[in-house]
Amino acid sequence: MSALYRRPSARFALVVLAGVGFLAAFGPLIAPQDPLAQHMGELLRGPSPRHWLGTDQLGRDVFSRLVAGSTISVLAALQSVLIGLTLGVLPGLLSVFLGRAFEWLSLRLIDALITLPFLVFAIAMTALLGNGLVQAMFAVGLLITPAFYRVSRAAALSVANAPYVEAARLMGATSFAVIAWHAWRKVLPALAVTTAAMTGACLAIVASLTFLGIGVVPPAPTWGGELASELKTLYDRPFGPVAPAFLIIATVWALNALADAMRDPPGVKP
Amino acid sequence: MSMNPPATLAISHIAAAIPSAPAIPSASEQKGSVRVVLGWLLSTLAIILPVFLLSTLVTFLLGAASGLNPAAGMAGDSATPQLIAQINADFGLDQPVLRQYFTWIGGIFQGDLGRSWFNRVPVTELIGQRLAVSASVAGVALLLGIVFGTAFGIIAALTQGRWPDRAITGVASIVSSLPPFVIAILLIMLFSLWLRWLPSAGYVSPAVNFRLWLALIAMPSIALSVDVIADIARQLRTGLVATLSENYVTGAIVRGLSWRRIIFVHVLRNGAGPALTLLGMKIPTLIGGAVVTETVFTMPGLGMLSADSALRGDVPIVQGALVVCIVFVLTVNLFINILQGTLQPASRRR
Amino acid sequence: MPTAKLWLIPLAVMLTLAGCGPSDDQSSKAVTVKWAFFLPTSWDPVTSRTGNDINTISLAYASLTRLDRDGKAEPSLAKTWHYTSDGKAITFELRDGLKFTDGTALDAAAVKSFFDRGKAQHDSFLKDQLEDLESVSVESPTLVTLHLSEPDYQIPYLVAGRTGMISSPSAAQQDLAKLSLSPVGAGPFKMVAFVAESYAHFVKNPDYWDAANIHIDRLELTVAPDPSTLVAGVLSGAIDLARLPAIKVEEARANGLTVTVAPSLQALDMSINLNKPPFTNPKVVEAFRFAFDPQEFLKLLTNGLGSVTHQPFPTDYFAADPAIESLWSYDPDRAARLLAEAGYPAGSLELTITTSTANYGTAAELAQAQLARIGVKSSIRILPPGSSTMQSVLYIAKDAQIATDGTIGRESPVQNLLAVFGPSGIMNLSGPHASDHFIKALEAVRKTPLEDPNYLPRLHEAVRIGVEQSPSDYLVSVPWIIVSKPSLKNLNIQPSQIRWEGVTVK
Repeated sequence: MSALYRRPSARFALVVLAGVGFLAAFGPLIAPQDPLAQHMGELLRGPSPRHWLGTDQLGRDVFSRLVAGSTISVLAALQSVLIGLTLGVLPGLLSVFLGRAFEWLSLRLIDALITLPFLVFAIAMTALLGNGLVQAMFAVGLLITPAFYRVSRAAALSVANAPYVEAARLMGATSFAVIAWHAWRKVLPALAVTTAAMTGACLAIVASLTFLGIGVVPPAPTWGGELASELKTLYDRPFGPVAPAFLIIATVWALNALADAMRDPPGVKP
Repeated sequence: MSMNPPATLAISHIAAAIPSAPAIPSASEQKGSVRVVLGWLLSTLAIILPVFLLSTLVTFLLGAASGLNPAAGMAGDSATPQLIAQINADFGLDQPVLRQYFTWIGGIFQGDLGRSWFNRVPVTELIGQRLAVSASVAGVALLLGIVFGTAFGIIAALTQGRWPDRAITGVASIVSSLPPFVIAILLIMLFSLWLRWLPSAGYVSPAVNFRLWLALIAMPSIALSVDVIADIARQLRTGLVATLSENYVTGAIVRGLSWRRIIFVHVLRNGAGPALTLLGMKIPTLIGGAVVTETVFTMPGLGMLSADSALRGDVPIVQGALVVCIVFVLTVNLFINILQGTLQPASRRR
Repeated sequence: MPTAKLWLIPLAVMLTLAGCGPSDDQSSKAVTVKWAFFLPTSWDPVTSRTGNDINTISLAYASLTRLDRDGKAEPSLAKTWHYTSDGKAITFELRDGLKFTDGTALDAAAVKSFFDRGKAQHDSFLKDQLEDLESVSVESPTLVTLHLSEPDYQIPYLVAGRTGMISSPSAAQQDLAKLSLSPVGAGPFKMVAFVAESYAHFVKNPDYWDAANIHIDRLELTVAPDPSTLVAGVLSGAIDLARLPAIKVEEARANGLTVTVAPSLQALDMSINLNKPPFTNPKVVEAFRFAFDPQEFLKLLTNGLGSVTHQPFPTDYFAADPAIESLWSYDPDRAARLLAEAGYPAGSLELTITTSTANYGTAAELAQAQLARIGVKSSIRILPPGSSTMQSVLYIAKDAQIATDGTIGRESPVQNLLAVFGPSGIMNLSGPHASDHFIKALEAVRKTPLEDPNYLPRLHEAVRIGVEQSPSDYLVSVPWIIVSKPSLKNLNIQPSQIRWEGVTVK
């Protein structure tokens, strides 16, 4: 992990993520105004001392909305990743040890999930099951399960065939305990990479869904939803879309850069 | 030499798992072995068929789980419980779920995807009207992705370490983090609002007006392709860099072979494997990403049809559209597997 | 590097071809107009279930009469008409040689067939408007008489709208279901292509009785794009004419586009359903009369271009009763007090506001904030897009406590009142609630000839009674705000609908 600090892009990414994490965790507390409060006398204003990023179509403070939206958007992405982790890691590990039938069935199920068109299925699932953020998160989480399955399966495969495992078995250690310990040590770093990358992917997908108005429960702000509404008022607020777009892009990039840094050994040129 | 792809291609981890068809027999192996070819065919089917059934089952269960029924969408003076029950029976919704699934699948194999709950139009007709739109955009996006992705990948690999490589890799890294609608909006702002070169909405068949068709799909396909170009460029670059440092390449240079021959005959064939697999991975993304571009550019495509129908609760259309996508993805991946088999004889030896 | 140049070629080709963008309107001689609007709930006037459809259905159909610029009924398919002295029968004389687009004759028998279908078809939405119609008789190929159960002088206005849009009886007989997807009428245009929820293409109908005034060869109707790309759409030639949200007027004008603001009959309201709690309590209904601030709605939705109204049309419409405007005013304290008296102290009442993105997106959030000020918590339910989704939920199932809605207006004020306050009115969320007092008042208006000095007072009284007995609150009236490319001239925007006679393209 210390290798991370040596790469400049990784350091920068960590700073960005720390910032976003801070916003997400303490957002509702530090937001200067109530993100839902409408000031009808100040519609579509530009930045001012009172409203750092101006106001939107309903007179609401944009900065406060983005900060509050951070919590919602980040939490949503984390929830999907958690679901993917839960559904994918254990079956991936077990697929190596539970026999041919389970392996075959789980592999085909995972193939089936990959075959589904991601965004279309996510929208369909969200919309048909009630069109809330919860449904959206579950849909996205389900669809990223293959990534986690694959990673843990690959790690387990490499462990199951390793000579030191056979040696340990010969020495009498119970198969499961040995494999579990070694597999876990192998899986963890790979999982970390995948988790970081998938969080980035989920954030981008959440942004796309809320941009399209799927899973959005007004008046709650989300990064994607804010971007969509800024685009509607582009003429009166030409720089409006910059802030939400920047938040989305920076966070996704930071997560990807972090995953890159964790994956490549130190000294490897990017 | 590490061939680790950048993290954004994390999902490509699973690329190798996509209905991975067994190796195709080479010409020498084919001598008199119809059995081998048949064996290959059967083992391919043994993978693709279950995947098809499982993915369509998931699709079907989604509709069943939604609890929606056609009575909600059909106008009537008064929706009494009896009327609702009767409408449901008309659509076969009073049957047990698994039997409904088999009826539906049976219909699919005959080309019948059911009817819309809202206007009773056959789903195949609705999808057919919009397939050309999505196919145009996705097709051109794929073409752009392959052409420019390959080009940039080769350039980056050949100028490894110098500024073209850094520029391409850096830009690709940033671009991969951009959600598709960001690029779409930027393109509209540039080409429609500011320069007024290209129309920002609608679709027309190329048979009716080729120039207008090209103008209308230019921006959507560029928006869709950017992500593909970036990922393929980076993946190809990594693979090529690895292959370029192999001994046989050094040997070929020493023996005086031309660069062009080295790249196209040897390096590309061997280094393109992961990129090709990635391509297979990207195609479902192209179909999915089309939803956003279709909405932003107001194109009557498959993505928009699925999204709108899902929001409205018109389950047969959603299921039909998903099935079409699934079939498409499976077909393309089969093709890619064949391509990989023929391009890289070494990969066939398992 | 030879390979480096290879990829330049496809790029160059694409840019060249694409750069010679949408120039093809000039190369072909056909005058084409691309109209981004809505698609109707049904292309059959008998099963159309929202007033907004008048704009789109009248592309394919012509009605018996038509409204002129002053809102008076003028000849269309019918040349003349006259009532019997007791007002219980009206005879229309049709023009000679009228034809439907399927070639069959539009004669008195076809008119009779249409009205019979409107009354009898099981899923007809014209039934309540044709309630007074007892029978239709054919006197001659061009003379048809409507026999009424009560005197009703509104008929010439009624048949200027969807109620009088004569469809081809042979098309209806051959395939009724197809008629809702593929119209067969005698209107200014003839449909040549239709993709559900996407677009409909029309070409000029040479047999239209007023074809001399149609200067458009081809009309392409599409669904409205996302507002953020609307102006870009018009600038880039993808759209020629569309409705514009009020906040985009400045942007459109700054970009050299034509923006037309014309009076309309549209009025937006918070529809309330007194069949669902908490509105089953009349005190709550009364509280909500004072809960909404129309000025804020005015600012948000019309940017000052509209006006406040508490009745289902703008206050300068002849049927509007000025006295209604002073009935209630914005008074949040009074609203909160009434709610407390009704048993809902601040913070205890929770509601769901139903809205559709098609029309009044942010209005629901504004209502939510205003309700919060009087201690009412509300969540917003957004109905998905689609040509008939909102209508299915709100107009048929009436499955909402409170909803943002609005009326586009009707050709006849009585018909308008019937649609918003009548027992079978599609916009009466509280349906079938309608007080007997109101129904009687409406009947009285019907029986009064238009030239009678009692007509206007009776009409005003019916409006007032209707507004008082309905729990819904009308808030603002919105004009037509239309953006169009500068080459479109002589736009024909009438208060009740958009029409295409006289529109030219330079």
